[in-house]
Amino acid sequence: MFGYVLRGRKRTDLSKATFGVIIVLIFSLGFGIGGNSELLAALPRVGLDAVVIALLAMLFSVVFVVAARKAVGLK
Amino acid sequence: MIKYIVATLLLGAVAGYVNGNWGSAVAGTWVSSYLFDSSLMLLLFVMGLVFGMDKDSTAKMRRTGLKILAVPLAVALGSITGGVVSSFVLGINMVAATAVSAGYGWYTLAGPMAGQLFGPEWGALGFAANFSRELLTILTISLMVKVDKYAPVALGGATSMDTTLPVIVRYCGSDMLITAFSSGFTLSLIAPITIITIATLG
Repeated sequence: MFGYVLRGRKRTDLSKATFGVIIVLIFSLGFGIGGNSELLAALPRVGLDAVVIALLAMLFSVVFVVAARKAVGLK
Repeated sequence: MIKYIVATLLLGAVAGYVNGNWGSAVAGTWVSSYLFDSSLMLLLFVMGLVFGMDKDSTAKMRRTGLKILAVPLAVALGSITGGVVSSFVLGINMVAATAVSAGYGWYTLAGPMAGQLFGPEWGALGFAANFSRELLTILTISLMVKVDKYAPVALGGATSMDTTLPVIVRYCGSDMLITAFSSGFTLSLIAPITIITIATLG
């Protein structure tokens, strides 16, 4: 809503600011992982499960989206 | 972008490991809770700001109308189905696996949320599964765009509004920008809600 009010004014490139914040976010996430020894021990075990979950979620997403876009007539 | 993300993640992990194992110079919770929460909130604010400021995206969204919402809803249903199926394939907890897949690729959200709801090992899986989704999306877009013009948007899930958006637009054309952005945006909004809803079902 704040952005809606500001629209039309000088265009500010926020992508750099966003990138900076993402980097801080990712760093603090990595910090949490690195500092958690239980979690580090689990990582080698979850690797394969992670890829299987990701691939199946992606596969079904594509199937459902193709079906849905035909159903509602999105070109 | 992904290079910097991987590098930063590794750097953060090393810093966290060193801090945790050799005299905690910084309280670990300060970095992983306060810094994380505040940067996430700031990021959500900026995302809303950019969306509200962009005349074209809001106007195009009105023109296409509610039909465009069929895409993120199908991605959500597809991801949840993928989570259910993978729990059978891997023989793991169905509720937790489905909650993980309902991160739609948003690993910075799904990792910590799964960790909080199901324990640190699920946090690692939530992070790794959704991080894999983003990496695999970037790697397979050039192939999947031949299957269907909308396939890359489906693959990207919640990431199709930021990290994978430039790659999607490059392969699908600029007319897919609004579809990809609105799909990623909608999925980012519903990801925390669906993860919690699935967790409460268990």
